[in-house]
Amino acid sequence: MKFACLVYLDGSILAGLPPEEASRLNDACLEFDARHLARGEVTLAYPMQPPGKAVTIRQRDGRLSATDGPFAETKEALAGFFLVDTPTLAEAIAIAGRSPLVAAGGTVEVRPFLPREHS
Amino acid sequence: MKYACLVYAEMPSMLALSKEEGRRLDDDSLDYDKELEQRGHLIAGQALQSPETAVTIRVRDGRMSSTDGPFAETKEVLCGFILVEARDMNAALEIAAAIPMARYGSIEVRPILEINHS
Repeated sequence: MKFACLVYLDGSILAGLPPEEASRLNDACLEFDARHLARGEVTLAYPMQPPGKAVTIRQRDGRLSATDGPFAETKEALAGFFLVDTPTLAEAIAIAGRSPLVAAGGTVEVRPFLPREHS
Repeated sequence: MKYACLVYAEMPSMLALSKEEGRRLDDDSLDYDKELEQRGHLIAGQALQSPETAVTIRVRDGRMSSTDGPFAETKEVLCGFILVEARDMNAALEIAAAIPMARYGSIEVRPILEINHS
């Protein structure tokens, strides 16, 4: 089964880390990704730049608008995601729970893929 | 550069689409994914099931807890994403503007963070 693991994090947690701890967390995240990618349990993993770097687009009545900033201003914001492919939801939860960002105070939402087909 | 196009929409209004409209949106979305793939922009594109199918995980004081439901209960919810390769933010915005879901929801375009080992 395929799931998206959406990682939410309070940006001030990372900003408040001493440089040494920040680079240790960085390394731990890269190792987590590499280990699970090698086993085929994670198929793709990407952190994102902070929400302040986002631009949000809408189209209404044929007119397009673009505004600087994320879709929603929240204390804990989507910081990145990884996609897992495991036989069960329980295994996906176990992997998500081992993410170094969860140990650092983040939250992971695990949500199944929606298969789509042409009509 | 890589960009995440995060697709947000209101679930009630998506569920209220007529069968025909829903089918057209699905077809348009799949066609656009294919087009982006052919143009060399697509890294991954995926729709997600509705937020109530989610499980949310936290670790506090070394103990893991999991609760049913999404991270946040909001009116507009994340319902999928397209990960693209684009020259710059403007090129990524151009790609995002043509995502069929932009007609119904909002697309947040955010650059991917490149991290390297220390």
